[in-house]
Amino acid sequence: MKTLKLLFLSFLIISLSSCSDDDEPLLDVISNKVTNFHAPQAGGMGQPITGEFAKFSFATGLQSSSSTEWDIGFRGTTIIVNGGTATGTADEPTRNGQGGAYVASGTMASVLDVDTTKFKQDASSALAITTGSGNGWYTYNGQSHVISPTPGKILVFKTHDGLYAKIEILSYYKDSPASPNAFTDPSRYYTFNYIYQPNKGQTSF
Amino acid sequence: MQVIFALLKFALLNNLFLIIVSSIIFFLLFLNHSYAQVSNLEVDSTNVQTLKEVIISATRVERQLSSLPLPATIISKKAISRSNSNTLDQILQSQTGLTTVPDFGGGEGLQMQGLDSQYTLILLNGSPLIGRSAGTFNLKRINLGNIRQIEIVKGASSSLYGSEALAGVINIVTEKPTVGLSNYINYSLSTHNSNDFSYSMNNLLNNTGFDFFFNRNSSDGYDLNENDELMTVDPFVNYTINGSLTYDLKDKTKFSLSTRYYNNVQDNVASSSLKGLSEIDEWNTNFKINYSPNSKWDSFLELYFTNYLAKENLNNLDGSLYDENFYDHSLFKPELRNIYRISNNKIIVGGIGLSIEKLNRTYFEVKPIFKSPYIYIQYDYYPIEDLNLIIGSRFDSHNKYKSQFSPKLALRYKINEKISTKFSLGYGYKAPDFRQLYFDFTNSLVGYSVLGYNVAVESISLMQSQGKISNIIYSLDDLKGELKAENSISFNLGFNYILNSEISFDLNIFRNTIKDLIDTRVIANKTNGQNVFSYYNVNNVFTHGLEFNSKWNPSNSLTINSGFQLLYAKDSDAIKSFNNGEVYARKNPNSPAFQLKKKDYFGLYNRSRTMINININYDLFQENIELNLKGKYRSKYGIIDSNYNNFLDSYDEFVNGYALIDFTLNKKINKKYNVGFGIDNVFDFKDYQNITNISGRIFYAKLNLNFNQ
Repeated sequence: MKTLKLLFLSFLIISLSSCSDDDEPLLDVISNKVTNFHAPQAGGMGQPITGEFAKFSFATGLQSSSSTEWDIGFRGTTIIVNGGTATGTADEPTRNGQGGAYVASGTMASVLDVDTTKFKQDASSALAITTGSGNGWYTYNGQSHVISPTPGKILVFKTHDGLYAKIEILSYYKDSPASPNAFTDPSRYYTFNYIYQPNKGQTSF
Repeated sequence: MQVIFALLKFALLNNLFLIIVSSIIFFLLFLNHSYAQVSNLEVDSTNVQTLKEVIISATRVERQLSSLPLPATIISKKAISRSNSNTLDQILQSQTGLTTVPDFGGGEGLQMQGLDSQYTLILLNGSPLIGRSAGTFNLKRINLGNIRQIEIVKGASSSLYGSEALAGVINIVTEKPTVGLSNYINYSLSTHNSNDFSYSMNNLLNNTGFDFFFNRNSSDGYDLNENDELMTVDPFVNYTINGSLTYDLKDKTKFSLSTRYYNNVQDNVASSSLKGLSEIDEWNTNFKINYSPNSKWDSFLELYFTNYLAKENLNNLDGSLYDENFYDHSLFKPELRNIYRISNNKIIVGGIGLSIEKLNRTYFEVKPIFKSPYIYIQYDYYPIEDLNLIIGSRFDSHNKYKSQFSPKLALRYKINEKISTKFSLGYGYKAPDFRQLYFDFTNSLVGYSVLGYNVAVESISLMQSQGKISNIIYSLDDLKGELKAENSISFNLGFNYILNSEISFDLNIFRNTIKDLIDTRVIANKTNGQNVFSYYNVNNVFTHGLEFNSKWNPSNSLTINSGFQLLYAKDSDAIKSFNNGEVYARKNPNSPAFQLKKKDYFGLYNRSRTMINININYDLFQENIELNLKGKYRSKYGIIDSNYNNFLDSYDEFVNGYALIDFTLNKKINKKYNVGFGIDNVFDFKDYQNITNISGRIFYAKLNLNFNQ
């Protein structure tokens, strides 16, 4: 009987306290798909890689030309975040936000909570999303030279202003062909799904 | 007793397998004393035909095949000539449980018990053949014109042969001089303008004998995909010359000297503007003295030398050199082997030798030399009349990697006149090869590097000082230990059932548990955005399954042989990843990924779950006409990870299962002439995208002349 009372009491307290928080209603989580996001680069093939990063903002869902209002940047297969320091390659933007990232294993449906302990920022030794085949988001096939997004890799990001988002990259080739040809299909065109949590402090999607 | 305990303790700490074998050895040594000697090495089997078949590579002493406790088969001269096969790949493909896997440039490697070509040792008259391209031994190099028999021993045989004999051993035995001068000419012409010409001469006069063999084999090659500018197999011409001399000195001492030369020249085409040649030169020389003072002792001193030189070049259209590379590998191997027949049912074979290997090639900064002295001993005996036991072991010491101890135990028990059972358990290993230790290669086009294990630290440090390294993933201290030899424990359990003189069955259950498989991993990132790869011990894989053979002779003129292999070849770590739900796939690039289930893991690449073969021989008109019909089926297998999740799973694209049917007709015109006609791949099966070694239907005709005295 005592337990039941206690239970009832705690229920009452929780209900009341919940009500008191409801004065600021939560924004809906944004779920979207970006197609053919172009991320050109120069150099490569044994030469230093150069060229501006194509920057993306989760808040707008569009490419960003601002030097501060961006969350992630793409150049070839390299993905950077707006947080940390430059690795020292040419044409890197200045990180002035609090962004970070980590790679989670799972599907968009299974990665539901952000593990804030896992975030890394870009650093001179390594990027938050590590580069190279099998290290980050893609697998390179040495025979066909095709870059394929590794299934089961979800990239979880902290935006420049401390919010959270997750993306699943689907294709690296223009119009995401079913079996890309590395020699004829234009590459460095990202297609990805993303989910953005626009509410401060919310760590689930 | 204390010694035994100490040994057991040592074994327990090291390897459970060692325990079993060493304790069995001790047990057997004691057991041995308590049995009366029963004479029985010769007699067995109700089948007169198989009684004659003698195998040498399985135990390094002539043994009757039917009583051998190991899974082994022999392909006789007669079977080779009936099949009209010209090269080793053709005849091995028709054996149960064996298949060939295409390699670059039309080469073909052998897959045995689900293990790759690099794990099967190929011997020529008991001495190892070298010259492998990334581990694959191209079976097309061996012409069958002067082959007396081919011996196939399955299961690890490192206890006799050391490195590479992990899946098994193939021994190619050439003709030996026989009394009376004989001359043979063989010629065959087939589709793709493939020509095969052989001449051989053989005689044994008093105490001197010789055998000479010449072969020329050429082809225009073929093209399965007309849409690209490259041919599937480029034109080639090759020559084999083989000579051997034998001399008997007062019955007790025999000398033999044999040498073989092989040369192959093939077009090397990279694109319409880059063309050149690729050439192989191979020498094998074996000098042997056999001394047998009495019927109990046989001593052999063998000096074996072999050299394999491969050269490749590519030229631009204006004739200027674009690229060239070479690979010069040699092996010198002296061995002293003794056979001591204690009694009719006890034989000891022991050997001591030294293997010196050298490699000089492009992409190597060093010219490494491997020196490996070794010793082996084997005891073959019958503790009771129906039980045969073989215990053996070999120790290989090595200057560049860990020394290896390879024990083996095999037994055969004759339950009754109809049923017998065999069991064998052995350790097999493959030493890291030169490439895995010393490769020092940077791709000039893309910029990635591949480093051998032993040169990785030095090369990385050099790249670092040149400012080419951005990030080291594994600390250099991690790379300083020794790369381990790939090793396996091989288990075979077989049953033989002779129903009557017409029908018999063979069943063999096998399992190979392989540890420390060598693979590549990224050890550092370069400033150009590429990676540095090096070799390391990673995977644990296993292959297991069963092999079933049946023989049926409904009449003297008809023989039907059939075989079946069921195979599961998997990576233990991959199974774990699937069990932990860490593997995902995507049905097409626009759909989201989903998690794969345990049952979605298919296994290793290039392995078919089932393989079936059937061989029907029919003789007409007092054996003047021989008909042969062969069929081979391979179930589906995967060759690429088409959904890029690093595993072969049920959502990947597979190569469909297929069947090949061959037909031959050989006719004896008179004592001197034979003619033959045949169609390989009667139904013209082709899969140009996935199977480059099947060229479609092939017609051929052959003529065979012999002048025997």
